[in-house]
Amino acid sequence: MIVAERKPLGEIAEMIAPYEKVCVIGCRSCVAICLAGGEKEVNMLVSAMGLLNRRTGRTQNLDGLVLERQCEKEWVKEVEDRILESDVILSMSCSLGAQTIGDMYPEKIVVPGLNTAIFGVPEEQGVWSEKCLGCGDCIIHTTGGICPIARCAKSMLNGPCGGSSDGHCEVNLELDCAWYAIHERLKLQGRLELMDMVRPPKEWNTSHSGGRRVIVREEARLTSHQKRATEESQ
Amino acid sequence: MNRGTQVVICRVCSEGAGLLDVDKLARVASDAPGVCSTVVVERACNKKTVLEIVDDAMAKEADRLLVAPCSKKEISPALFQTYAKKAKMNEFLMEAVDIIGEVTLPHRDDPTRVQPKAEAKLRSAIVRINMLEPLQRTEERMRTSNVVVIGAGAAGIEAASVASAFGLHTVIIEKSEKKIDAPGVVMPKSRLISAKGHAGNYILTIEVGEKRETLECAAIVVASGGDWREAKGPIVDELQVAKPLHHLEQEIGEGRLPGGAIIILDTPDPKGIRTPAQDFMWEEALHCATHIRRKSPTTEVYLVFQEMRAMGLAEFDYKEASELGVKFIRYDSKKPPKVDTKNGTRLIVTDMAQEETLSLAFDTLYYASVAPNPDNAAIAVALRIPISSSGGIRRGSIQRGPVATPRPGIFVCGTAKFPKSREVARLEGKAAGLMAAQFAAAGKWEFGGSVAEVTSDKCSACLTCVRTCPYEAPFIGIAGKAEIAIQMCQGCGICAGICPSKAIELHNYTDDQLSAETAAYLGGDF
Repeated sequence: MIVAERKPLGEIAEMIAPYEKVCVIGCRSCVAICLAGGEKEVNMLVSAMGLLNRRTGRTQNLDGLVLERQCEKEWVKEVEDRILESDVILSMSCSLGAQTIGDMYPEKIVVPGLNTAIFGVPEEQGVWSEKCLGCGDCIIHTTGGICPIARCAKSMLNGPCGGSSDGHCEVNLELDCAWYAIHERLKLQGRLELMDMVRPPKEWNTSHSGGRRVIVREEARLTSHQKRATEESQ
Repeated sequence: MNRGTQVVICRVCSEGAGLLDVDKLARVASDAPGVCSTVVVERACNKKTVLEIVDDAMAKEADRLLVAPCSKKEISPALFQTYAKKAKMNEFLMEAVDIIGEVTLPHRDDPTRVQPKAEAKLRSAIVRINMLEPLQRTEERMRTSNVVVIGAGAAGIEAASVASAFGLHTVIIEKSEKKIDAPGVVMPKSRLISAKGHAGNYILTIEVGEKRETLECAAIVVASGGDWREAKGPIVDELQVAKPLHHLEQEIGEGRLPGGAIIILDTPDPKGIRTPAQDFMWEEALHCATHIRRKSPTTEVYLVFQEMRAMGLAEFDYKEASELGVKFIRYDSKKPPKVDTKNGTRLIVTDMAQEETLSLAFDTLYYASVAPNPDNAAIAVALRIPISSSGGIRRGSIQRGPVATPRPGIFVCGTAKFPKSREVARLEGKAAGLMAAQFAAAGKWEFGGSVAEVTSDKCSACLTCVRTCPYEAPFIGIAGKAEIAIQMCQGCGICAGICPSKAIELHNYTDDQLSAETAAYLGGDF
């Protein structure tokens, strides 16, 4: 899932300081589960900003609400009134949610309450680790199921490099060396010959390097006729 | 349903410190919304008074009770129960406000703050009690009435004897191979691996030798005892000849008395924390010293301790020991004793009272050290009961008595909590055995009330509650949403606090209730 972290309160306060009516919008999906921008965090932020304003003696109208998924237009549309009423939207969702609102209401100022960080796996309660960078061309079948793009600091396709020591990474000794882990996994599976396989340079144009990616599934799209019908029914 | 709240203001706890104006508190209560009766009494924890309060509640048709200022810890639950029964009141609609512990004592240096804070606390408690729901408990039949005792020490054997005298089947799990004379089944060389289920139906996995077996039981008594820890501290490490105190006890028990000069040295906690173990060791050292001097007056005995506190009857031992000529040397923690390595058997210590440095020649040095059983941690994890910072099993709230843990059906006794004499351990074993037997013999048990509940629509099945609950109460049900097994729920509120989707609430501690209470405390501005 997408893992985000709340920005420091001071930074948030600074972003919303010029505005009178602030609409704080959270999301019940990924960012709720990683304890960054769900109903609880929205309420906590509204309370914290209220306390801060009380201390500094200013009045600011803070309106907190949570959407099922902020990255979907239909859910955003549900709270259109409250968005239009406000001077600024403080999005407590990942950047996708914030940009969805921004694209739908281009005249509205949207500021991010969270830093969207990683595609992460909950390793244990309160710990999320990055395991995928979304390169668009998965190769983990050749690397024992461990992604070297995300888990090696150098995204090496043919590792390990000379900086691997005792299973750790030279970039930061607290990190595990992905290629050491790949070697151990392949050894366990009896497929060590894959370590000798030379992986040619990757086609990076499927990754972000090829420019902004848009996934289109033609069979899932609505025909212009269907689209018109849906729009009319709404 | 919400007919009215009866507020009982108790003078004995209000005026104890002379900082509270009781009549003013009573006026605050009677002016508060939802209060149908305010009674000022001399002492609320008095049976006669309770009957008077009940009469008043019946006359005014109150359905809620608030006692203030009362220390929640000290009010007798039995009195609340009597009250509930006589006034036909739901037990979840009764609360006490602890003004002494939370207001009077913390602000005793600034008495001007006491009255306003006490009034604010009372107002917020009234707002809270008006919002409480009359919860119900559920009853369930137990599947078995067996009682399992962990540990076959003095306390464990006593517990098993009492429980089996009650006509229950008892099983003792003992890790050593020692021969044990106790009723019921004794399983030597066995230890607890894990526990599933809940009171009335605990399912224990036991390792017996190399095999694993399953045991079902209604109640469990933890009597895992203590452990004589080996060498501790620099002096003892330096001195190869030093022996732990229990060796001396063993020698005395076998009739072998040491001659020459002996020193019994304490082993204080390196962080300077005073533990119950140290008090116990001091008393044990006193016993040994007295015994030796009585039987063998030519043996010189020195007790070298940082702290010398003879509690209760130990005062007599201290008196006797000093009359018999035991020499007490108290030292400062900043000037710890040293061993004179040149002469080998001399202890250099600065006496705190005389500020004089002594050089004591000795033949044997015993060090007083006892620690909780290192297996306690594993037992606590398996049974999901708390452990104290000094490594002993912790008992539950004082209301449940000294041998109950926070989990229903699990009791703890003896040195498993902290070191104590054999007699006390045995008495505790008796108490724990009796409590466990009564619990198991009842055949049914009650649970529920103030427990957590999931609003399925809001649950996103993220597993956070399942991972976080220390009691394994939440699980993902057939509908793919979290559910709470209320038999397991201890009402701690951790899941309600952590739930990312805000799908879980703890009955009578809901967000609305807590916010209203806080807002009232802050004077409505929140």
